[in-house]
Amino acid sequence: MEKGQYSDPPLLILASLASGPKHGHTMIEDIVLLCGTRLGPGTLYGAIARLEQQLLIEPLAPEERRQPYRITAEGERVLRTKLNTLHQFSKAGLERLEAL
Amino acid sequence: MNPVLVRLLLRLYPALWKERYGSEFSEFLQSEEARLSTLADVVRSAISERISPTVGATMNQQTYPFGVLVKQPAAFLPLAMSLGALTVVVVTATVFGISRQPDEGTPAHLWQLLMAGQLPLLLFFVIRWWPRAPRQTIYVLALQAGAFLLATAPVFLLHL
Repeated sequence: MEKGQYSDPPLLILASLASGPKHGHTMIEDIVLLCGTRLGPGTLYGAIARLEQQLLIEPLAPEERRQPYRITAEGERVLRTKLNTLHQFSKAGLERLEAL
Repeated sequence: MNPVLVRLLLRLYPALWKERYGSEFSEFLQSEEARLSTLADVVRSAISERISPTVGATMNQQTYPFGVLVKQPAAFLPLAMSLGALTVVVVTATVFGISRQPDEGTPAHLWQLLMAGQLPLLLFFVIRWWPRAPRQTIYVLALQAGAFLLATAPVFLLHL
C-alpha cells in the first residue's frame, strides 16, 4: 500500500455502494476516485463475499454477465457507525498534530 | 486475462467459494489484465480462503448468525405481534375482568388480527431463510412459537 492510501476493503466497498448499486469493475474505479486505493480482484471478491455473508450487501439481478451489488439497510448503519468513528479519530489526531 | 489462466486460478479456491462466486469471479478476471500484482492478489486471496475459510467454506447456511436473522422484519414483527396480542389479553382481563363475553368485542378482534396477521410473515420468513440458514431459522421459529403460545395460552386456559 502506498503512503497516504487507506485500505479497509469492506469499508471501501460499503462506501462505494453508498452512492448506488455497482458491479466489481465500477466498484474498483469508484474506490480509486474515493481514496486512491486500487483493490485487487481477489481482495475485492474476498470482501464482497464477507459483506454478503454478513448481510451488509446483497446481489441484484445480473446485468450482461456482470453481477451488481447494493448496500443493505444494515450495511448503511454499519458504514455510518464506522465513518463516524473514523471521523472522530481523524479529528482528534489532526488536533494533536496541530498542537505539536 | 486468459480463460485457461482464470480456470487455473479458480482451482485454488475452496469448492463452496467457487460454487457461489466462481462464475462472476471468472467473468471479472477475464476482463482484467494478467499483471503480476493481480495474479499475486488472487493467489493470496485464494490461500487466505483455504487457510481461514470465513468466506467460502462457511458460505453455507451456517454463516448467518442468529442475531442477524432475528433482526429481519419477518422475524421480529411476528414476535412483536404476539407480544401485542398478549398485552391486549392482559389489559382486557385487568380492565374488564376474566369473564367470557357472549359477543366478541374489539379486543378479541384485535387479538385475532394480531395472531392471524403474523402467519403470512412467518411463511415469508421460512421461505426466505430456510434455504440459507435452516438451523438459525429453527431457532427464530422456536422463539416465535414461544411468543405465539404465550399469547394464546391465557385465552384458552382462561376460556376467554
